[in-house]
Amino acid sequence: MTGGTTAREPAGEPLLRASGLVKEFRVPGRGGPLRRRDVLRAVDDVDLEVRAGETLALVGESGSGKSTTARLAARLLDPTAGTVTWEGADVTRLTGSALHHFRSGVQVVFQDPFSSLNPRHTVERIVTAPLLYQRRPIPGGARAFTRGLMERVGLNPDHSTRHPAQFSGGQAQRIGIARALAVGPRVVVCDEAVSALDVSVQARVINLLRRLQREEGLGYLFIAHDLAVVRQIADRVAVLHHGRVVESGDRDTLFAAPRHEYTRTLLAAVPRIRPEWEAARRARAAERATGAGRETEPTEDTR
Amino acid sequence: MSGATSEPLLRVEELTVTFDGPRGDVDVVRELSFALEPGGSLGIVGESGSGKSMTSLAVLGLLPAGARRTGRISLSGRELTALTERQLRRVRGDRVAMVFQDPLSSLNPYYTVGAQIAEAYRAHRQRATRREARRVAVEAMERVHIDDAARRVDHYPHQFSGGMRQRVMIAMALCTEPDLLIADEPTTALDVTVQAQILRLLTEVRAETGAGLVLITHDLAVVSEMTDEVLVMRQGECVERATAERLFSDPRHPYTRALLDAVPRLDDEVGELRSVDEGGAR
Repeated sequence: MTGGTTAREPAGEPLLRASGLVKEFRVPGRGGPLRRRDVLRAVDDVDLEVRAGETLALVGESGSGKSTTARLAARLLDPTAGTVTWEGADVTRLTGSALHHFRSGVQVVFQDPFSSLNPRHTVERIVTAPLLYQRRPIPGGARAFTRGLMERVGLNPDHSTRHPAQFSGGQAQRIGIARALAVGPRVVVCDEAVSALDVSVQARVINLLRRLQREEGLGYLFIAHDLAVVRQIADRVAVLHHGRVVESGDRDTLFAAPRHEYTRTLLAAVPRIRPEWEAARRARAAERATGAGRETEPTEDTR
Repeated sequence: MSGATSEPLLRVEELTVTFDGPRGDVDVVRELSFALEPGGSLGIVGESGSGKSMTSLAVLGLLPAGARRTGRISLSGRELTALTERQLRRVRGDRVAMVFQDPLSSLNPYYTVGAQIAEAYRAHRQRATRREARRVAVEAMERVHIDDAARRVDHYPHQFSGGMRQRVMIAMALCTEPDLLIADEPTTALDVTVQAQILRLLTEVRAETGAGLVLITHDLAVVSEMTDEVLVMRQGECVERATAERLFSDPRHPYTRALLDAVPRLDDEVGELRSVDEGGAR
């Protein structure tokens, strides 16, 4: 099952919903005698919905407002206007311990695992911190709980007392995912969560995210600038440009027949390997897979 | 394969770069050899830690402290490894120019971009007057399609966007009309639409000037669009080298195959993405 089947059939009511989101920042003015501050509208009237078991991707270039939108939806930033609802209840203005229920439902995975994980803490301390913060008991004790989480994200549970620096980039991002899963969220906001990873590592982390979604029915709000990555994971896509959603729709439709000029520009700009080379490569790979052996020697093809 | 009897533009033979680490020496590049014909283009691709950037720095004699280099590097038949720093500096920027990933950290924030392009020019054309250098700077900026170059030449780096700064870097690289351009992840920090513009620009200026290109990148799709030949590196070694067409249509090394399988694609059926060595993350 690829998850694409859920694209057109929403799995019930949205868990996380944001409507009319606006975020303005005060920025230094361009001069004038009083040096008045200007207002930058980073997010301008954005609506979004995330359901269980589905992925909504927000794509856009730098400055499009995609990360700000993610932070607003995750209640890491307060919106200038608009509302955020969780399981039907308005959570826009909740603060402090009133937010705990929301925080248990919505967690965030950030782009750079090394800067979002405390380098002085062990994996065990990192992944149990969200529960301690919410004053919740750790099911089965910290060690066993950590081992269980590490297994779920494909890390060796024997490494639970190691520090972030002792892991590779891809492994560190798995720790970030484990930490997000610790409180048992139903929606995970992935803010460029695979963008900094090498392509082979990225493929593995995407596979992990997909498996978790398949097995546990997580909803994802997936923020990315890479359209090819979005194509691999999203059910629905919203394209942001200057803080506005210029186009949104189900993935296959949007990729196959983009309606907005900006979406078309974005898609056309993505570098790609020539289709005829791809076809030839696939044909050879298929031949190798079916044909009995006769593997070509790995050659270096130097002259 | 141009059956050239002349010297290749760039020839690298058995290049090894070694760092002394806390637990003994580490080879970050190991016995790497390749050649580039005049006007040719070569892409060096690899993941982080593959040694691709160290290769470009070694060619330019810009290795960080603590790194040692062995092997031979020649430019149009002239051995570079034997040159003094002073002689090498004359080659760098004049015959060989480079463009790096982050234009903001390669530009001095305290000087106008025009002053910096002019300085690069005068460093290699010592008899050039200030006026002439300024004219060259404006022309170079026009060549990379910076609108209103005569006015923009007096602006500071922070007044340019990331893509425009990278255009300035390319203008600076081209002002001495080098034979070889080494571009190390030149578009990695840029938005995809800006990346497309910069790649188009690189192709265009190469067609105009006939400069050779060594493009270092982690992005296989970028390399497939930009260079005639491709060299795949892994852990300091070349695992496969071929024409772009051969490499992308008939990859032979298992690592190259796995790497190509792992690239997410826009127009691909979504299946389980293969990773380079399954189980390695455990």
